[in-house]
Amino acid sequence: MVSLLDMPQTLTQQVPRQIDRPEDETEREALMIDVRDVDFAYGSNQVLHDVTLEIPARAVTAFIGPSGCGKTTLLRCINRMNDLIEGARITQGAIYLEGVDISAPEVDVVDLRRRVGMVFQKSNPFPKSIYENVSYGLRIAGITKRSQIDEAVEKSLRAAALWDEVKDRLETNAYGLSGGQQQRLCIARALAVEPEVILMDEPCSALDPIATAKIEELIHELKAQYTIVIVTHNMQQAGRVSDYTAFFYLGRLIEFGATTKIFTNPSEKKTEDYITGRFG
Amino acid sequence: MTPPKHILGTFDEALGSLRNNVLMMAGLAERSVDRALKGLFQRDDDLCAHAIVDDEEIDQLEKQIDKEGIDVLLRYQPVASDLRRVVAAMKLSPNVERVADQGTNIARRARKLNKHPPLPEIELIQPIQAHAMAMFKDSIDAFTREDVDLARDVVSRDDALDKMNKMASRRLTQRMAEDPDQLRGYLNLIFISRCLERVGDHATNIGEDAVYVAAAEDIRHQPFVAAS
Repeated sequence: MVSLLDMPQTLTQQVPRQIDRPEDETEREALMIDVRDVDFAYGSNQVLHDVTLEIPARAVTAFIGPSGCGKTTLLRCINRMNDLIEGARITQGAIYLEGVDISAPEVDVVDLRRRVGMVFQKSNPFPKSIYENVSYGLRIAGITKRSQIDEAVEKSLRAAALWDEVKDRLETNAYGLSGGQQQRLCIARALAVEPEVILMDEPCSALDPIATAKIEELIHELKAQYTIVIVTHNMQQAGRVSDYTAFFYLGRLIEFGATTKIFTNPSEKKTEDYITGRFG
Repeated sequence: MTPPKHILGTFDEALGSLRNNVLMMAGLAERSVDRALKGLFQRDDDLCAHAIVDDEEIDQLEKQIDKEGIDVLLRYQPVASDLRRVVAAMKLSPNVERVADQGTNIARRARKLNKHPPLPEIELIQPIQAHAMAMFKDSIDAFTREDVDLARDVVSRDDALDKMNKMASRRLTQRMAEDPDQLRGYLNLIFISRCLERVGDHATNIGEDAVYVAAAEDIRHQPFVAAS
């Protein structure tokens, strides 16, 4: 039993819960992703205009904005997923990952996509076992030692807060998992190859509130080690999970800042009108 | 400047209802204090009684504002200026309720004073009333119109009110020594002056809340910064 003598005598003696959300940009971590003057087009249709944005390391940055504003397009630029779409290209500017232009000829796009993992709106586990889903990336990277793979699979599933739920059925088909579990499996799959950045495109939009809460809690734990960029239509989610928020409109970055500031006192009227539901 | 309407009309209605209840509550509180003081100056116990009865309706409005505020937070999860408006309305209403309580206190003291011959020192109360009530009206005005300059101006006037109360208390204390037969009367006037000084404190709190709504700035517990 705690003695009364051990209890804090004044408010100043109480140990406050750690507040790890930045109040302003001066507290920002090192820069991880540097988007500089980027224009992007699908064929002749320009969808991003002069976007400049610095995404800090080991923090969660949310992209918000109305449908068609370019937030998912920009997200997919960061790991060059847009390369898979014919005619889609950055027409001006560049994106740098830890100082290196991701479109430079010497950059291995496969390795880029290992370093910058992605989780999609609709979870997309492979039609394989839970174990095989997580180990797949390791095997194609050339790792064959069973014990090493076992260890990596467990570590990834634990990091994705899924291990306890699946440890006794690793050989069962991933499709037997619930929607929320499948999404966490996809996160584990991304984590297995030791990325530095995790991109999330509306990861909870198909999930129920409890599954959503579990993913949000997971994001909070992961950001200690990974840089996370999340596109979300859910303003309250952006407010809950992110440290920084970028608001896009018609292909332009309108405002970027600490989430606390964006959601209590945004600088731009358009931002205020959007987040308060006055347009969009 | 009036902000554009929300896409969700019910959100505008809910915020409007909250604002109207704040205005109604403030109006009743102002009337309560005015009635109490009229009851004092005109030696009218009926006016004092009305001031006391008003308090119940004001208490109910305070509860209503809290209930509506929670409802808006729950249903609409407001952010930015909307969030500040709701939070400020919920913080402001206890201050308005306390102003009404001061009206009740003044009315009770006035009734006691009315049982005895009038004291000329009652004149000391009039300028204090004018100053305090002007602060209260302006603080509510600043809140509803989101006028930062007016709000800061209200906050700046509290020192002057404190000085007026101190001077009045000193004068009345002196009179207590000079005329001990009227001691209770002078003591009641000291308390009435203090009630009005407290009205000024509540108006200051409301002014600080108004600055928070309009400018997202927390100016509490700072050395005073004059309006620009």
